[in-house]
Amino acid sequence: MDLHKFGIKFFAAGAERIDILKLIPIYHRWIQQSALEGLLIDVADYSHVPAGPGVMLIAHEGNYALDETGHERGVVYYSKHRLEGELSERLAHVARKALQAAELMRGDTELEGALKLPGNRLQFFANDRLVAPNTEVAYAAIEPALKVFLDRLYAGARYTCVHEPDSKERLAVRVQADGEVALPTLIARLT
Amino acid sequence: MASWRERLTDRMPVDLAREIDVYEGQIELKKHAKIEDKLFGEARLRRGAYGQRYDNGQRHDGITHRSLPFPTQATKGTETTWDAPGMQRIKIPFGGLNPNQMDVLADVAEEYSDAICHITTRQDVQLHYVHIEDTPDLMRRLASVGITTREACGNSVRNVTACSLAGVCRCEAFDTTPYAKAMAYHLLGHPDTQDMGRKFKVAFSGCKTSSCGLTNIHDLGFLAKTWQSNGTTRRGFEVVIGGGLGAVPYDAKLFDATVPEEEILPLAQAVCRVFARLGEKRNRGRARLKFLVEKLGFDEFRRLVLEERKVLPSDPRWTDYLKDVERYHEGPSKASASLDEAKLDPAFQAWRATNVYAQRQPGYVVATVTLPLGDLTSWQLRQLADVARKYVGDCVRTTVEQNLVLRWVSEADLPALYGELQRLDLALGGAGKIEDVVACPGTDTCKLGIAASRGLAAVLHESLVERQNNGGIDPAVRDLHIKMSGCFNSCGQHHLADIGFYGVSRKIGGATVPHFRVLMGGEWENNGATYGLTIGAVPSKRIPEFIDHVTQRYLSGRQPGERFKDYCARIGKKALKEMVDAYSAVPPYALDRTLYSDWRDPREFTISDITTGECAGEVVPQVEFDLQAAEQRNFEAQVHLEQNEFQKADETAYHSMLIAARGLVRTQLWDLSEDPERIVSEFKTRFYDTQLFQSPDAGQYAGGKFALYLLNRHADKNRAFSAEKARHLVEEAQLFIEAAYGYYQRMSEQQAQAKALSKASFGVAAPADAEATT
Repeated sequence: MDLHKFGIKFFAAGAERIDILKLIPIYHRWIQQSALEGLLIDVADYSHVPAGPGVMLIAHEGNYALDETGHERGVVYYSKHRLEGELSERLAHVARKALQAAELMRGDTELEGALKLPGNRLQFFANDRLVAPNTEVAYAAIEPALKVFLDRLYAGARYTCVHEPDSKERLAVRVQADGEVALPTLIARLT
Repeated sequence: MASWRERLTDRMPVDLAREIDVYEGQIELKKHAKIEDKLFGEARLRRGAYGQRYDNGQRHDGITHRSLPFPTQATKGTETTWDAPGMQRIKIPFGGLNPNQMDVLADVAEEYSDAICHITTRQDVQLHYVHIEDTPDLMRRLASVGITTREACGNSVRNVTACSLAGVCRCEAFDTTPYAKAMAYHLLGHPDTQDMGRKFKVAFSGCKTSSCGLTNIHDLGFLAKTWQSNGTTRRGFEVVIGGGLGAVPYDAKLFDATVPEEEILPLAQAVCRVFARLGEKRNRGRARLKFLVEKLGFDEFRRLVLEERKVLPSDPRWTDYLKDVERYHEGPSKASASLDEAKLDPAFQAWRATNVYAQRQPGYVVATVTLPLGDLTSWQLRQLADVARKYVGDCVRTTVEQNLVLRWVSEADLPALYGELQRLDLALGGAGKIEDVVACPGTDTCKLGIAASRGLAAVLHESLVERQNNGGIDPAVRDLHIKMSGCFNSCGQHHLADIGFYGVSRKIGGATVPHFRVLMGGEWENNGATYGLTIGAVPSKRIPEFIDHVTQRYLSGRQPGERFKDYCARIGKKALKEMVDAYSAVPPYALDRTLYSDWRDPREFTISDITTGECAGEVVPQVEFDLQAAEQRNFEAQVHLEQNEFQKADETAYHSMLIAARGLVRTQLWDLSEDPERIVSEFKTRFYDTQLFQSPDAGQYAGGKFALYLLNRHADKNRAFSAEKARHLVEEAQLFIEAAYGYYQRMSEQQAQAKALSKASFGVAAPADAEATT
């Protein structure tokens, strides 16, 4: 499947305690320090919208956020432009970017250790209804690459995938792996 | 896999699909540097693809100015980087939406923007952080549900707005919806609106007393009225003209107290023609219609419009639309039933008190969905579309207060509807109250923004909601309106608020401090009849405490029943100034840096990110668009040739010459039709016979032969099509178009020289840009 615009969200645990506005200065600092790869452009504050994208870090290649969709906080990165490699490699690339942001966020002193990311719960979503509509056929087409990527990410641990079936929403898959995994470990597996 | 273009072919109106193809073609040409920045910039604006902050590739990160190294060095307009994210404005005439449109808006916001739909103060939808190359597909998907972005920006007729209560309002003369719709589509792409020096805004109101139409701030405003004539009730409008906000707001003036319904379209056309012909084209700050009215004097302007009306070529559409008016019907999808008042919970009652309006049709109500800062997520919008399907069908509208309304809700459904809105986190109360703060994008995304209007609006909104939830706000205060703009350009309509703000900056001890200038005593009611008085500036960070102080003073000092506007007028500007001055102090930077950054933006404040706005667009004469369209058409001819479609190639190349010729002729004869006979005849008389078309440097080689390419092809009525002939004609058409460009360039240079000479002779100074306006 020739999918390039998609995202991966790593769900957080207990993140509701975090004052999401604290992310605004954090993101601005990341821009100043070029703390993440790629071209970091600006910060978009949607904290006033319940269960929305929260506060976003807008980059040229994709966007980062401590996303609040569905009242479930998690660190998301989604790509906006063409990526290189096979789909499983693209998935690894996007996941690695989400994890790098998550790790940076997790360690930021401003958040005082409140952000916990068990690493074993994630959501993949396709952000391109032309290439990947939310159908069983499209899910079947994407599943092999997703498996290759997840096998690499979870290094043989068991995981389950659940396709979220609402056809009006984007094609999305929830993944739950056995046992928590530290973010640096996950990043290393994808590097 | 099919593209969106292929997949949606059958669902898009043919003309709109073609327009988008042409626009996509322009993008391709621009990528190959075959269109100049100025022309592409205006072409993109006219499709609603607008610039956004930092799109010049520069940004102050709080420490230093940095270049944003986008992948390409290409540009998509003057000083606008190709890869920089931009804003897509989407016109929603009279704010009318149906659930299918809401679904698609939600989808495109998710896939091409940041999953947020923003409702503007002119009932548009805006998406931010959109890449230019995504815009054609975005537009196709919207076109498939009947939405166009055409002329959403640029020097064109912008979204035609109307009361969101039109048709259900208890005080309107009649439903203005079909009139607003007719006006929107009549002026859309109309030849008389293509050569204006600035944007042009039209609004409809059902009555004089309410606020929702805001006709007083528009270039052209229509207020519904009826009268008796020969025993029958006639419909028409009181027409006002030349209103506008901007740095210096102008009240619209009464043009005609009684314009019959069959006259509104030609009258609007006549106004546009006078504006296009006589409006300022060079000094953007003086180019809006209000300045032309002022310059000419109202009586002279009116005379010119009426003269223009007399000579306007007749158009059957002026009255054809009245059949649609008769047929127009919006009604409930469910039977009305009354609410069981016995079992209502307090939260519902509180929401109902502010967000529900009883329609004039018994048993039905309008429910307002309050959107903080005008924003909602794609998920919310899609879910809301389903809620609309369930309760009201197609009866959804955006409002100028940046909210959405669901009309024709059966009263008995209200508790269930409220429950659904709660599930979507859309059951916020306070619609139209003090906490329903209106703000333009400001420094969040606008290139012209000085201060963070959205940051301030969010802070005020949250603190006022909290105050209301903890003990409540006095009703007299809660009825006030707060509106703010990031700069003096008034997109937040701050002049119409009880307490309005616009962003400014102040230098304090060498550092820059964000401030908002305060206006008090504006009037939202009566179609925005009174503009607030500017009092003074308050540091951005001190505004919440300033609001507390002002509202306390109002509560303690008001006379029984006295409105804020009247209170302000009674206590006078001096007393108001004292209130402002009490909050104007800024501690030195060394003592407290808090005030030296803006709300929700910790960067040390700077105004160095402000760049040239695209609000005004570039003034690109229509002939330049025509020549570019001709070039595009001839490119299509080349494609046909490549595909061995010789007859098609031949005819398309011929058509491209006609487009170019018509463009040139219209510089002298605006009303030229699209009839080839007429185009060629006028072209021959005006450009070939006069030898104007002959390039002086073409000399003995060209002479008039480029013109003959068109004349000969046109005369060849029984043409035998062949590959060779088609190939030759495509080449000839290209030369003809080049010659047309050459003529236009010579003409422009001669005009510029003549102007310079005239200035040198008479010592006339070039006017300075004095003001930008919305």
